[in-house]
Amino acid sequence: MKKVKIIAGISWAFLCLIMIIILFPGLNSFSVSVSKLPFMKLNPKYSGGEIAKQMITASCTLDIRKPVFNGFFKERNSGFVQLDWHGTIPETIKDSIDYDNDGNKDFCVLIDRKDSKTVLSPFNKKVKGVIISTPTSYGWAVRVGLDKN
Amino acid sequence: MDNVLEKTGMKKSFGKSLLYTLPMFLITFMFMTGGKPNFSDPASALAVLTVFLLVNVLYFFMHYTGKTDRYRAVLFIIFALSLSYTLIHNMLEVRKSMSFSQADILECKIPFCHLVIPMMILPAVFTKSIIFPGSIIGGFANISSMVVLWLIATIVLGRGFCSWGCFYGGWDDGFSRIRKKPVIKKISELWRWMPFAVLIMVALTSALALMPTYCSWICPFKAVTEFEQVTSVESATKAGIFLSLFGGLVIALPVMTRKRTQCSFLCPMGAVNTLANKITPFTVKIDKNSCNECFKCVEVCPLYALTPADIKAGKVSLFCSKCGKCVDACPKKAINYGIRGIPAGTMKNFSRNLFLFVSFLFMAIFSAGSIISTFHGLLKLIF
Repeated sequence: MKKVKIIAGISWAFLCLIMIIILFPGLNSFSVSVSKLPFMKLNPKYSGGEIAKQMITASCTLDIRKPVFNGFFKERNSGFVQLDWHGTIPETIKDSIDYDNDGNKDFCVLIDRKDSKTVLSPFNKKVKGVIISTPTSYGWAVRVGLDKN
Repeated sequence: MDNVLEKTGMKKSFGKSLLYTLPMFLITFMFMTGGKPNFSDPASALAVLTVFLLVNVLYFFMHYTGKTDRYRAVLFIIFALSLSYTLIHNMLEVRKSMSFSQADILECKIPFCHLVIPMMILPAVFTKSIIFPGSIIGGFANISSMVVLWLIATIVLGRGFCSWGCFYGGWDDGFSRIRKKPVIKKISELWRWMPFAVLIMVALTSALALMPTYCSWICPFKAVTEFEQVTSVESATKAGIFLSLFGGLVIALPVMTRKRTQCSFLCPMGAVNTLANKITPFTVKIDKNSCNECFKCVEVCPLYALTPADIKAGKVSLFCSKCGKCVDACPKKAINYGIRGIPAGTMKNFSRNLFLFVSFLFMAIFSAGSIISTFHGLLKLIF
């Protein structure tokens, strides 16, 4: 039994040695494999959620993402909807948004990029206010706070 | 030229030490140069050469002198400093600031570090998603690569990761070496369970908030990496907490106690790695037959991993990070690196050589990128 334990211990140690030796050359392929695991995707709280629809104009595109209410156990009562403008964005952005696809505009967002000023005009009582409005590498992004009910 | 081989020590002759260094020399050469040294940029070539020599000289001296901790600590501390330098330099170059903006968070460009891992497990299981604004794959410090690196290193080294792989540990390790004698000598060993409390607290709060709460509110190393832009009372409070914890747990207490207090009392990853000590093949063993219970090892252990009761029982606790300080300090050479299954006091040289090769190789390759980049940056500043 003592010999078996020694052999098992040494074998495990050598296996660890091999793991460390192949870890760095194989890091890229191991990482790609790990990235494909079902849970390896960013929570919508960080990614902003899936793109629900796009509004395309001659110079820029507005991505309206799905509203995010997710919580650990169940959906929360408060969340946000993220809007991303890409392309050549005008100095002043003014867009009316129907985030819940009910055919009615829920809010209007007016952004003065020069002064970094964002004005939100809600038409729906579920729309709470601007959480984030910021220039990004691709254009401009806004998160608007929402109530679920 | 030859070193005298001590009867009970781990010293080797000059030639034997060179021979033991040869595999490290070849592997680190391959990793640092890709097998083809590039001399087109002299500063870059000099940086690679310096780091390559540094790593191999340190490893050689571990064998030649039979001492582990002092040479490990040199690379470990340089790693911590260089990683902070690289990160801050990168932040200043790309973002002109040490803080990250709301746009960086929205675009998920925050570098990922292993300390987030304990907080992302519950949400990954229950929401099938990662609660961190970083890149899953590709880009600097992406989530997948860091998870792979940490996972393998922790399986192999257990809590040894905290002394051979963690790029933050070098900070309090360095500060704990400043004074020769501690000012505060007695701290209850019960405090070493504190990281488990922190782990449970941050794992639960992170799951409930879907936000890595340790990184957002507690992590002392935000002070030397990057943190949220101070734009509100909340962000100012966070910055205050980061700086206070860094000043207290990473600088002041390590200087006064000669212990790694942040790693011992706060780090939640330390708690996870402590549990991983159950599976790693590498351990530290006490030879009861040689031990005279002088408790020198208890005195020098930087992580409160050894208590007089542990020594009397002939067992090193799970908190051990295998830094080698106790091994170096033991006057009777009764405490040594070991391999699970091998009885204490036997195959000491074999166990130490194998452990040193595995752990040092990991640290050398893992740290090389940031140390080379730091040396390169410094050379460019000088010339």
